Amino acid sequence: MDNRRGLLKRSAGVGAASIGLLAGINKASAADAGKPIPVGSALPLSGIAAADGVEYRNGLTLAAEEINAAGGILGRPIQLHIEDTGNMGPVLTTQAMQRLIDRYNVPAIINGYNDATNMAEMDTAADADIIFSHYNTLLSANTKFNSNPKKYYGCFQGCPPEYYYGVGLLVYLKTLMDEKRWTPANRKIAIIPSSVEYAIVIANAIRDKAKDFGWEVSLFETVPFPNNQWGPTLAKIRQDTPGVIAVTHPLPQDLAQFALQFTPQPTNSLLYMQYGPSLPAFRQIGGKATTGVIYSTLIGCVPDEFSEQFRHDYTQKFGPNSTYLTGSQTYDALWKWALSAAIAGGPGEPYQKAQAQKIAQVMRQLVYRGTSGTSRVDPDGQSAYCYPTQTPDPSLGMPHQFLQVQDATKTPALIAPDLYAQAKFVTPPWMS
Amino acid sequence: MLDTVVTVLTTGLTNGALYALATIGLSLVWGSMGMFNMAHGAMLALGGYLTFTVCTQLGLPLPVAVIAAVAGGALFGVLLYLVVVQRLLARSTEHFETSVMIATAGISIALEEALLVAFGGQPLKQPFTVSGNLHLGQSVVPLLDLADVVIALIVMGLTYWFLSGTKMGRAIRATAQNRDAAVLMGVPVQRIFLQALAISGALAGICGVLMSSVTQLTPWFGDDPMLKAFIMCVVAGLGNLPGAIAASFCLAIIEAAVEFLAGARWGFPALLFIVIAILIWRPAGLFGRSQIRRL
Repeated sequence: MDNRRGLLKRSAGVGAASIGLLAGINKASAADAGKPIPVGSALPLSGIAAADGVEYRNGLTLAAEEINAAGGILGRPIQLHIEDTGNMGPVLTTQAMQRLIDRYNVPAIINGYNDATNMAEMDTAADADIIFSHYNTLLSANTKFNSNPKKYYGCFQGCPPEYYYGVGLLVYLKTLMDEKRWTPANRKIAIIPSSVEYAIVIANAIRDKAKDFGWEVSLFETVPFPNNQWGPTLAKIRQDTPGVIAVTHPLPQDLAQFALQFTPQPTNSLLYMQYGPSLPAFRQIGGKATTGVIYSTLIGCVPDEFSEQFRHDYTQKFGPNSTYLTGSQTYDALWKWALSAAIAGGPGEPYQKAQAQKIAQVMRQLVYRGTSGTSRVDPDGQSAYCYPTQTPDPSLGMPHQFLQVQDATKTPALIAPDLYAQAKFVTPPWMS
Repeated sequence: MLDTVVTVLTTGLTNGALYALATIGLSLVWGSMGMFNMAHGAMLALGGYLTFTVCTQLGLPLPVAVIAAVAGGALFGVLLYLVVVQRLLARSTEHFETSVMIATAGISIALEEALLVAFGGQPLKQPFTVSGNLHLGQSVVPLLDLADVVIALIVMGLTYWFLSGTKMGRAIRATAQNRDAAVLMGVPVQRIFLQALAISGALAGICGVLMSSVTQLTPWFGDDPMLKAFIMCVVAGLGNLPGAIAASFCLAIIEAAVEFLAGARWGFPALLFIVIAILIWRPAGLFGRSQIRRL
C-alpha cells in the first residue's frame, strides 16, 4: 500500500514527467542494453567546499538511481564516477575532469561548482567533445561560451549567471515599492561585496543599474574574503543610513556574523544578502538576529508540491542534516542530460563530436521542469534563463527565488516571485 | 563620532586579544625551539571542535567543554612532539627549522581534513557564547567581545606568571635565550621542548574556543588567525612574548582603523606593509635582538 501511495505521489511530482518520458523512449530502443554508461563528476569532496561537494554527489546518486530504475538511457544504466577537486582552482579541477575522460571514457561530466577555475573546465570538455554541465553561476562562463560557440557547444551552465542576482534585486525592490508593501527610508543603497569575482559581479550589477531604478549608491565597500569582523563596515553604514543594505559576500557564517553585529544597533534599512542564508549554518549561527533578513537564490529546489517527493527522498536517503537545496542542482542536471541523450539516440563517447552535438542540440531545445523550476537554455551564453528578470514567462525561466527569515527557528519563507510565493514580505523587526 | 570610535576600538581590541593569544602560542614555540609550527591554525580548530563536541554532542557543561579544549590542545602538542618533532630533532638539528615547518604543514592539512571527515564542512555554531550588549551612550559593545577580551587577558596573565614565576617557566625562558648554555646548566632541553609544545597546544585550544565564538567553526577557521599571528610575531621579533602581545593589540587597532578610514579591503594589506617596513628598518623585529650566525 505504501509503495502504491509512493508511486501515486511520485506521479504527481518531479520525477513524473522525466520518468514517463524516459520510459517511453526506452521502449523504442534497446541497443547495447545493459552496458553501463559512465558519467563523470568533478566535485570538491575535500577542502573548503566539501560540504557542498557532498551534496552535489548526493544529488547525482539519487538521480542515477531513479534513472536506472526507469530503465536507464536506452536500456543502459548510468554508472557514476566522481573525482575530488579538493580546493578547486583550474589545475585540480581540469586534472580531475581529464582523469574522468581518460580513465572512464565519460561522455558527460555533471559538476556542481568549482571556485576560481577561470572556466578552464570548458576547454577540457570542449577538447574531448563531451557534454559539460555546471553550476559555477558565473557570467564569465557565458562570456567564454560567446567567445567561441562552435568550440564550447557542449558546455552548459545549469543556472543563470550571478549577474542576475544584482539586477533581480532591483526588480524585486521595485515590485515591493510599486505594490506599497514597503516604503524605503530613503533611496540610498549600500553595497557590500567581498573580494571574489562572484560577489563583485553581483555588486557591480547593482551599482551599474541602481540609477535606472532610482537608487543612489551611498556606500560600495569591498571586504576581505572571508570576513567575520564587520565593525568598521557597520560604522560606515551607520554614518549614512541607507534604505537598503545589499551584502553580496556569499559565506553563510560571515553573513550570520553580519546579522549578529548589525542587529544590536540597527539602521532603518532593508537587509538583503544573497545565497549564503540558504544554507542552514546561517540561522544556526545567527539565531534570532537573522529574523527579517531577505535573501535570494538563482538556483535551488523550489519548495513546492512538485519537488515534495524529491525533498522527501533526499532527506530520507541522506539524513536530516543534508541540504537538498544544493543536491537538487546536480539532480536536475543529470536528469536533463539523460533525457537529452536518450532523445538524441545515445550518450556517445568522448571525441565523438557528431553525437555530442546532437545531445547538445536537444539540451538547447528541451525545456525541462526540474526541482529548481524551469531550465531553458539562453543561447546568449548557454546558461539558464532567469525569471522574471530575463523572461516574464515563468514556464520559460528559472525562478529567482526571494526568501525571508520570518522565524529563525523555521525554514525561511519564499516571498517572491509571487507565482511561487508561500508567504508575504514582513517588515523586519528592527524597522517596525 | 563617538560611537564610530567605540565600534572601531571594540573591533580592534577584540581582534587584538585573540591575535595576541594565537601569537603567544606560536611565539613560545619559536622562541624556545626555533620551530615555526604551521599546524598552529589547525590546533585552534581542534580546540573549537573539542568544545563543540563535549558541550553540544555529549551534553556536558560548558566549563568542562572548555577544559577539554585546553587539555586536548595540550595533548595534541605532546603527541606532536613525541611523534614528529623529537624524531626530526634526533635526525638533524642543522635542518630542523626547515624540516619541521614542512612536517607541520603536512600535519595541518591532515588534521583539517580529519576534522572535515568527522564534522563535515558546513559551519557550526560554537556553544561558547555570551548574549547581550553593553550600551555606552549611543554605542553598543557586544558582551561576547568583552568576555573574549577579558578571558584572553586572564590567560595571557597566567602565561606570563607561569613563564616568569615558576621553575618550569624559567627553564623554558633559559632555553629560549641560549639553548647551549641551558644544556650546560643542566636544563633538560628535550623535556622543555615537550612542555613548550604542550603549553602552546593548550593556548591554541582556548584561543580556538574564543576565536570561533566570534567567527564560526569550520576545519579551516584557524588558518587566517595563524597568518596574522605570524605577522604579529615577525613585527614583535620572533620569540618575544611581551612584544608579541603589544604588537597584536597595536596592529589589530591599526587594521580596524584602516578598514574604517580607507576601506575594509585595505586592512590586511596595511598589516603587510607595516611588516615590510619594520623588517627593512629593524630586521629582527621591533623588540627582537639581532643574531649573528656563522656559516
